[in-house]
Amino acid sequence: MKNYVMGVDFGSTTTKTVILDLKGKMVAACVASKGSISAEGVQVSMDGALAEAGISRKEILRAVSTGYGRRMIDIADQSYTEITCHARGAVALFPQARLVIDIGGQDSKVIAVGGDGLVSQFAMNDRCAAGTGKFLEALARAVQVPLEEMGPMALAATEKLTISNMCATFAETEVISLLAEGQSKPSVLGAVHAAIASRTVGLVARVGMREPAVMTGGVAKNKAAVQFIEQALGAKLLLPPDPQIAGALGAALFALDEVTTPGAGVDEEDQADDTMLIARGCATKPCQKPKEVPLVGPMR
Amino acid sequence: MNAIAQPLKKANRLKTSSLNNKMVNDYWTDVFNAKAEGKLVCWYEGVAINPLMQAADIRWVHGEAWSALLAARNNEQEAQTAAEHRGYMKELCSYARTHIGCGVLAQNRGVEASGSSFSDALGAGKLGERIPAPDMFISAYPYCSTGQQWDEMLFRLFGKKVPIFNISVPWVWGNKPDAIYLGGTEFNEAKQYMVKQLRACTKFIEEQTGKKYNWDSLGEIMSYTKTAGRLRMEAMELCNAKPAPASFFDWTTSLAPVNFIPGGPGIVEYFEKTKAEIVQRIADNEGGIPQEKYRLFWDGIMNWNKIGWLANKFANYDANMVAGRYTHMGFWHEHESIDLNDPLEGMAVNYLVCPINLSAPLMIEQIIKLCKHYEIDGMVLHAARTCRAFSNPQYLIADAVQKRLGLPVAMIEGDMVDESFYKDELVNSRIEAMLESIEARKRVGIAA
Amino acid sequence: MSIDAIYSAFERAAEQPLESAKAWKQTHGTRVVGSFPMHFPGELAHAAGCLPVILQENHEPITVGHGMIYPFYCGFTRSVVDQACKGDYDFLDAIMFGDHCVQVLGAADVVRAKLPNTRVHFYQLISSMSDPWSLGRARETFLNLKEGLEEMIGHPIDEEATHASIRLFNKNRQLLRKLYDLRRAGDARITAKQMQILVKSSMVMDKAAHNDLLGRLLAEIEKTKAISQRGMRVYLSGHFCQSPKIGVLDMIEECGGIVVDDDLYHGQRYISTDVDETGDPLDALAKWYLERNLKVPCPTRVDQNADWENYLLDAMERSRADGMIVLMAKFCEPHMYYYPEIKEAFEKRGVPHLLIETEHELNSFEGLRTRVETFLEVVKRQSAARRIAA
Repeated sequence: MKNYVMGVDFGSTTTKTVILDLKGKMVAACVASKGSISAEGVQVSMDGALAEAGISRKEILRAVSTGYGRRMIDIADQSYTEITCHARGAVALFPQARLVIDIGGQDSKVIAVGGDGLVSQFAMNDRCAAGTGKFLEALARAVQVPLEEMGPMALAATEKLTISNMCATFAETEVISLLAEGQSKPSVLGAVHAAIASRTVGLVARVGMREPAVMTGGVAKNKAAVQFIEQALGAKLLLPPDPQIAGALGAALFALDEVTTPGAGVDEEDQADDTMLIARGCATKPCQKPKEVPLVGPMR
Repeated sequence: MNAIAQPLKKANRLKTSSLNNKMVNDYWTDVFNAKAEGKLVCWYEGVAINPLMQAADIRWVHGEAWSALLAARNNEQEAQTAAEHRGYMKELCSYARTHIGCGVLAQNRGVEASGSSFSDALGAGKLGERIPAPDMFISAYPYCSTGQQWDEMLFRLFGKKVPIFNISVPWVWGNKPDAIYLGGTEFNEAKQYMVKQLRACTKFIEEQTGKKYNWDSLGEIMSYTKTAGRLRMEAMELCNAKPAPASFFDWTTSLAPVNFIPGGPGIVEYFEKTKAEIVQRIADNEGGIPQEKYRLFWDGIMNWNKIGWLANKFANYDANMVAGRYTHMGFWHEHESIDLNDPLEGMAVNYLVCPINLSAPLMIEQIIKLCKHYEIDGMVLHAARTCRAFSNPQYLIADAVQKRLGLPVAMIEGDMVDESFYKDELVNSRIEAMLESIEARKRVGIAA
Repeated sequence: MSIDAIYSAFERAAEQPLESAKAWKQTHGTRVVGSFPMHFPGELAHAAGCLPVILQENHEPITVGHGMIYPFYCGFTRSVVDQACKGDYDFLDAIMFGDHCVQVLGAADVVRAKLPNTRVHFYQLISSMSDPWSLGRARETFLNLKEGLEEMIGHPIDEEATHASIRLFNKNRQLLRKLYDLRRAGDARITAKQMQILVKSSMVMDKAAHNDLLGRLLAEIEKTKAISQRGMRVYLSGHFCQSPKIGVLDMIEECGGIVVDDDLYHGQRYISTDVDETGDPLDALAKWYLERNLKVPCPTRVDQNADWENYLLDAMERSRADGMIVLMAKFCEPHMYYYPEIKEAFEKRGVPHLLIETEHELNSFEGLRTRVETFLEVVKRQSAARRIAA
């Protein structure tokens, strides 16, 4: 019997898998960290989730993939971008959410969402690591503190220092010189987290601040990062118990949509209706823009 | 040399600088009170066209000066954030972003309220919000396309409702072989074109004020400006003394009176006192830094967040920044060309040969003259990330002074008013490498 | 010639513009005059018997050029400096230009320094378009340019020759605009890549030869029936001096976008406006220069009579586009200044757009793909909602 759906978020540093039963109840979630875009990580994560649910792969009715490596997962029936899936997952966890701040290992994104859990606007960091988990990782190394300890340590900052460079490489030299000046590790780490927060505020600015805001992604597990971002935004953030799995959850929910109401998702089944036919003599209808269309703006 | 240690030696700044602070404060207080006193306000950037406004009793806000003031008082962040929120990106001219950010703040709180509530000392609260909204824009930006567009975007930000006047300043390029500094067919044509536009600008001003343009007043203002320009150049030229009695950093803090402070007895008195202090220092053998071992030239625009920091940094290296393109090649430096009976042409000349509007070959000749006059040992080129106007010719300048004068150079990255582009570690190592190279040359007797 | 063969001929010129110009010079013995984008008229240089070539950003990594210009400049500027430093421009008889973007001016100084034996002339075009003297100043500038060309060729430029060049250039623009019309109406399948090479090759090829090829292409297109396509109709905006990377265009179409229209310089911006074929040619060119900015507004100009954001909203309606992708060359100051106006206008109207920053060094489009896919997902949902509402 195929009684489950699966969402797999094949990220840059971790793979997350969520399994739902057909009522939408989460039966398993597994995060596997195996380095960059690793097929092994995907396997470990999926196997872990299946084991947790106590089912076999045959019982998965439909699977949807997301994340950087979404097209590399052959068992997936469909793939969506991580932006779409994170939004969907976050809204499933917090139906009132209107903004999703997702900071992962390789990228950070800010997504404005409608009540339907669908994206209305989004902004993403550019190619550089500024404001991502990688930035924190590089600077944890510079301060010689284990990654998981850097957050708690930053909360003990006594001095308000600033790191002005967003580039991880130059921020590292700034950190080193602050330490050489005799600044304490907690205060330096405070400045590191403040830098992440200021970058996030920049992304939020591109989309426009909305509340309530949810924070997802691995960095949401870092209490200092959350606190600094809250301070910079002047708003409280909603935090899911497991912030890393929002994307996989969203993917699983899209899989569930297909099972319960085929064609309801944003996929090729509704393309025949949706698409503009380009053919000789066909397209004469003028473009209509009724007022009730939600505002959609800058996306990058 | 320890890159990280706090400077032990500090710059010996000119005492007259404090007078400058007062003038700057008075000027901004007047600006903030403009609406309450029923004065029209003009926003502009770039070259010093403020005498044109002053003669018509209009108050003026110079965009760069305003942004630099905010930065120097650590008050720039709010305006920059406001600009970022509207979608202006970080790679844009930081002066423009800061100034446009003030425009955004003005829009956010409603144009009417602007400026009128301010009667307090500067520096308190949200300084970026205190700038009075414009009643007109005059755009006269040399060389840099950003300048003209900056005014245009402000014009659009204020709903295209505030009148704007555009003066197109031609770049002094030199297609023809007769092109020389201050001369040649094209320069003369450019000068006449500028005069025509400046004259048209006075008509525009008449339309705004509803009054006949006061040419007598302009002549009087320009007489103070011309004298102040002369005194400043004389004072700076005296700094070929060893040790040089003042540094480039002193001259950057002395730009306001030849840039946007109203032309009057105050600016003349300021440079009289400055010059007297220079003369006295030379008599006392007193330098602009405690110990002058190296004499350097600063190419590029100033980093206003770091002015004191940089002055002390170089003092600590025993390096006296004796002269610079920014300070020595602009700001009424061609005061002799101003004819007080008909000042527009002389004004046009000064605008055309400001420190960014000469093409590289002409600019390099002027820089080489300065390096020789001030007996420079090395050149620091400040690559301001968001000021391509200043950064553009820097590789050509570096190449020329290395080849023709044998000067070592150090290129450092920074910015005018955006701190985040400044990388202290790189600055230290590059400056130290240059000083080591000067040292090596001195040892083998290459340098004078 | 088959359609494919015609496109290949265009592509060779578009992808190897300098080689193509060099070959032309060798076989025809004409002088080659390079210019910088975007407003410089090639008509006068053509009338002077020269081949006008608009210098292009190339695909080479920037190496020696970074010894003459900082890395925080747009790809076009850095690439031009790099090409000059590598000697790629040595075969040019002159470089004449008139645009004032501050970064390009920086490149110009380096180019002149690197080409001591070449005429590198600047005829500064007035960039403030709505002043009482804008038209007159533009004419003076074109007169100076004409005199500079005459000095090079050693004799006056014939007025009838100028009229003939204007007619030839007009014809070229008209043919290209016809292709745009066919694509917009769905009567021809022309990909974004194909459109780019059509326009880009026009910037570097002899216009008569280009017209001839365009004629053949149109004849072939008339013969074939357009295949219907499914996808979201996308309007491309931005990218001025430099052509967008083909990889970006292909990626957009791979994600399910169909590019139906654009305001790119390597697109409609270049071909938008014709020059009057009668009367004084310099008057006509000056008028063309000002009119062009009203046809397709350019953020490098200041013009109280033009609003780029409104132009874009109207253009989207005309081409029945579902969403707009803004391609912004990193460090392009004019674009960065104007963008907030577009953002605000589009948000106000509820028209979706996606901003993509591109770079000379951009060679992997995966990171961008996520954004484009998401954007098209959103656009698709919204146009469905619109359809349901209608």
